[in-house]
Amino acid sequence: MPIFDLKDANAGYNGRAVLSNVSLRIEKGERVALVGRSGAGKSTLLTLLYSQRRRGSALIPQDPGLVKTLSVFHNIFMGRLHRNGAWYNLRNLARPMRREIEKVEPIVACLGLEDEMFTPAGELSGGQQQRTAVGRALYQQGDVVLGDEPVSAVDGHQARTVLDAIAEAYETVVLAMHDVDLALAYTDRIVGLNGGRVVMDEPSAGLTRGDLDSLYQR
Amino acid sequence: MGNFIRNIALSAIVSVSFVSAALAQAFVFTAVPDEDEMRLRQRFDKVAVYLTRELGVKVRYIPVKSYAAAVTAFRNNHVHLAWFGGLAGVRARLLVPGSEAIVQGYEDRFFITYFIAHASTGLRPADGFPAGIAGRTFTFGSKGSTSGRLMPEFYIRKHLKQAPAKAFARVGFSGDHSRTIALVQSGAYAVGAVNFKVWANEMKAGHIDPAKVSVIWKTPPYPDYQWTIRGDVDTVWGRGFKARVTRALLDMTDTDLLASFPRKGFVPAKNSDYKPILDVARSIKLID
Amino acid sequence: MRRSERVSTSFGFLGVGLFCLVFADLSVSTLDPWQEMARMARGLVTPDFLAVDRLGEALLQTLAFALLGVALGVVAGFGLALVFHVRVVRWGCAFVRAIHELFWALLFLQMLGLTALTGILAIALPYAGIFAKVYSEILEEAGPRAADTLPAGSGIVSAFFFARLPDAFVHLKSYTFYRVECGLRSSAVLGFVGLPTLGFYLESAFKQGHYSEVSALLFLFYVVIATLRLWMRPRLIPVYLLIAPFVLAGGAEISLDNIVRFFTNDIVPYPLRSADVLDITAWTAFGTWTWELVADQALPGIVATLVLTQIALVGSGVLTLVFFPLVSRRFLGPVGRTAGHAFLVVVRSTPEYILAYVLLQFWGPSMLPAIVALSLHNGAIIGHLVGRFSDELALRPDHPRGLDLYAYEVVPRVYGQFLAFLFYRWEVILRETAILGILGIQTLGFYVDSAIAEIRLDRAMFLIVITALLNIAVDGLSRAIRARLRLATTPEIQ
Repeated sequence: MPIFDLKDANAGYNGRAVLSNVSLRIEKGERVALVGRSGAGKSTLLTLLYSQRRRGSALIPQDPGLVKTLSVFHNIFMGRLHRNGAWYNLRNLARPMRREIEKVEPIVACLGLEDEMFTPAGELSGGQQQRTAVGRALYQQGDVVLGDEPVSAVDGHQARTVLDAIAEAYETVVLAMHDVDLALAYTDRIVGLNGGRVVMDEPSAGLTRGDLDSLYQR
Repeated sequence: MGNFIRNIALSAIVSVSFVSAALAQAFVFTAVPDEDEMRLRQRFDKVAVYLTRELGVKVRYIPVKSYAAAVTAFRNNHVHLAWFGGLAGVRARLLVPGSEAIVQGYEDRFFITYFIAHASTGLRPADGFPAGIAGRTFTFGSKGSTSGRLMPEFYIRKHLKQAPAKAFARVGFSGDHSRTIALVQSGAYAVGAVNFKVWANEMKAGHIDPAKVSVIWKTPPYPDYQWTIRGDVDTVWGRGFKARVTRALLDMTDTDLLASFPRKGFVPAKNSDYKPILDVARSIKLID
Repeated sequence: MRRSERVSTSFGFLGVGLFCLVFADLSVSTLDPWQEMARMARGLVTPDFLAVDRLGEALLQTLAFALLGVALGVVAGFGLALVFHVRVVRWGCAFVRAIHELFWALLFLQMLGLTALTGILAIALPYAGIFAKVYSEILEEAGPRAADTLPAGSGIVSAFFFARLPDAFVHLKSYTFYRVECGLRSSAVLGFVGLPTLGFYLESAFKQGHYSEVSALLFLFYVVIATLRLWMRPRLIPVYLLIAPFVLAGGAEISLDNIVRFFTNDIVPYPLRSADVLDITAWTAFGTWTWELVADQALPGIVATLVLTQIALVGSGVLTLVFFPLVSRRFLGPVGRTAGHAFLVVVRSTPEYILAYVLLQFWGPSMLPAIVALSLHNGAIIGHLVGRFSDELALRPDHPRGLDLYAYEVVPRVYGQFLAFLFYRWEVILRETAILGILGIQTLGFYVDSAIAEIRLDRAMFLIVITALLNIAVDGLSRAIRARLRLATTPEIQ
């Protein structure tokens, strides 16, 4: 039973086709990178996958989808709203409980945000916001994570730490990435998109940087 | 904190019920705001004091903003006695069966409306209806006024054989007699209709420049202001209460009190005195 | 391409406004306004605070009605905003906000008499309808991405409080604050129909030509509005709300009979009152009644209302573009801006009715005073909002100055917001035409006022419903245009 199974899927906005006849099957445990030029349809494909299987999936959107007036703690805590009752959640909204803070602390530390735990997300830098969004996905846990350029604003060394954390937390990973080196290093399957079509679908192992360059040409 | 809020809530309830209990006993009257509205309270609170003394019950005056509001308050039993204009009184008595016109002002037996015109119109005072006003701009007073609306409209329709909106270039409702005078004096409207008592008052106060605005026609007399009382007052304040109110009003001779209205004195009145007003109102479709 | 569509829409409205001018009566007929104008001017510079009967009481009542009315509107509106997707709720809100506070007050006066509840409900009801709409739009636009990323099964309560409310809160707060100012204006204006607020004395003094009292009342009101930010502190609001009921205590008693009579008798069309349901003649009479009302009042009223509205809308837009630099950090220093703020507070806090009356003295009765009064009033309100919006713009350090700055940098950037505000204000202008019937402009409001003066509530109700439908139509059109031009459906205030 595959985790995702698209057959000849189409998608578009306002009558403009973004994806055409995309077929994609992703099995449990696979680590997939979606690569391609901007506008190739990566984000749309991710959204499509997410909408097919929301339960058990965590999403890291490109616009990090944070609540800007809430703290880093709260934004990460939101990853597990579904596990608690509404009253418990509201209590933590008004005043975070010690035990919840303790659960969030390791994630914050791993992402290098320990000093910003109670800073409103809107006051963080772009990279910090992105890490907070990753933190939410890490905290959520589940079997699949769908990330849209989750480290695009994070610098090199830290990007690797973040991707390590994602890889450790989730069995099945689908990431849209523009950094070809990172894609090759952290995933075992590369799906190349161009003009809304899948034009490449191969294991990472045999590929080199040069093989992917064609995706970025018109 | 909880206690504090409870106390406040409690005292709010107590004070509200106290106030409404006090109101339930008070005999309340109002008056149509036809002039000098800034001093309505000063004018009529004195009358309330007088009536309280004469009737032996607490009498309160409440000010209202319009003729319609006076009628509505009377109808809703929020006031029990009212100093109405002719038309407002007729309306009120139609809406409240059993209510009665009991007393009218001495002058109200032959009330008059003045048609006034700006000097630039060239209109001169005349005995006959000034047909020369046709086609000019015209302002009434309040929409619900007898002297500022009903009677002038009646004579306009009668002599010009047209509705005012057709007979004039533009028709306005100034809302009040004093303002009618101000608007015609400034030439904003060429012609207007105004209560003769207010004209005299404004003249005395020096607000009128005879070189700019003058009276060009006087309507025939008609009955106007009166005190109207609800029919159920005897059941609330005891048998004979209506008669005592009537007596107290007729006995009002203090010139200071009379100046509030302003009238020379009061004389008895009855509903049928106002039949002409009702007929006129029906004829020009102001009353269904 | 998007911009050009905005520009062409603007020209479209300009064209409609100019076309309406053909039907508008703009003649100037005053002969010598100077005597009255001199008295007004003298009154303006000699405010007499002692002459007004119960000035302090009137001020407190104005504040109390505004605060309680707006507070009730906020609570009800917030609740309704949460279920705003339900069609009945949406329509209900559109209907209640389509009717001017003054008309609500007149209706409640019939049912409840001169009670505190009349004033509170007259504000709370239309405001609840407005709050429901705006709150729901703000909540809809707040953090949709955050809501999308919540894990499945988070529950609507948690999702609402975590993903929607926090980011929306600052907008909800600033919008609510803005409405408090509107609430104060509404509360003051309710005095025109008899509630004991500042408007009661203002209208009387004005009618009587006691201009020193008028200026005292107006100055007091300007000060209240101008200092709103100083005393309207979130922490103090509970205190105010606790005190307010005491200020309003007293007044007449509410009687159920009057309410029942209102619904079962007063607003039933005259020919049908006490007639048998199967009585053919009554129904024929009802047909005639309806037809006469539509032909003699509703249709001409609709035409006059729309003509006045469209011209005033264009006028408000033009004046907004003139006014907003007066309060914008981009154009003036602190001294200039303070003067600009003072000017706009005066223009937007003076009831349109008074502005119109002053202009009537100048120009005589025609649509001109009404157009200018509405344009000034609304231009000052939108100018104030656009000015504040322009303060937030990020300009490059080497931006041009003066007129170039205005034309090249600022206006293009605020234009979308400007149009959004203006289209928002469209239905408000339509409602405001109601109270200018005094000038002899026979808008729908003029006929409603006449019907109420004649205590013909059946006619008043019929015309009010027509007014409401017209408002709903304009609101729908405005919404469609805003969506087409991709203008923020919610104006950003702050």
